[in-house]
Amino acid sequence: MVMFLMALCLSMFGLAVTAMAFGAATRDERSAEAAQPALKPALPMSISPSRFFSDLPMVDLPAAVLPAMALPAMAASASRPHVPIEVLLLQIERHVRLEQAAAESFLDYPTVASLHSRTTSPLVH
Amino acid sequence: MANADPELLISLTADEAAEVLALGSRIQLASGSELFSLGASADHLYVVERGRLSLTLPMQVQGREQDVQVEERLPGQTVGWSGLIPPYRFTLKATALLESEVIALSRSALLDHFARHPFVGYAITRNLAAVIGQRLQVFQAMWLREMQRTVERLSE
Repeated sequence: MVMFLMALCLSMFGLAVTAMAFGAATRDERSAEAAQPALKPALPMSISPSRFFSDLPMVDLPAAVLPAMALPAMAASASRPHVPIEVLLLQIERHVRLEQAAAESFLDYPTVASLHSRTTSPLVH
Repeated sequence: MANADPELLISLTADEAAEVLALGSRIQLASGSELFSLGASADHLYVVERGRLSLTLPMQVQGREQDVQVEERLPGQTVGWSGLIPPYRFTLKATALLESEVIALSRSALLDHFARHPFVGYAITRNLAAVIGQRLQVFQAMWLREMQRTVERLSE
């Protein structure tokens, strides 16, 4: 009889622990689901202006004035805010090098495919 | 001459090339110094003897005028062909990227020499045409690539 009561008590205790664990688990899911819609609209507002690599002051950009070899992609990139000018200049020079290499490659083997081949320049993606 | 076969003197004999180079004067350039500026009067043609030159164009970037490198010139290459082509104005700015040396050939000295040695004038003109043609073809292809991207952006 004593053993039966002991087994019964242990069973009840195990059932209670299982019920508590289940309740805790389902409450987390419900609260997460309830909290998520509220977080979504707040997320973009909580992002502060990015300052990659530099703390240079941000400048409102006028329309870019391009030289004779006007490259619209450069102008588009130049009008993007929050990019330090040193980084932008490096990107522009890299873009010019890649474009020159692509153009020279086209002159070596003139085909439509080589004329419009893609480069890894970040200014055209 | 550091480079035995400058592109401007291809197909000339050693004596003919030496005579042409003797018309010029050597210019030493410290790193960062300017050889010529955009829009300046172009009275000389230059052969790079040593070092490295940067050819730049100005761009307005973030409200500031910045020189953007569009080409580099190495020993043996020719710089400043505007010195022989009307309207004799430089269309780029040339700066030494490191300590460099060029041979400056004046237009008047070259034209006088060409008048006395027509074959030399013919050969140098052909070599110069190759330099100019290469520049034209490369920039034409670059321009067309850019136009293609512009059209693609407009079609999106």
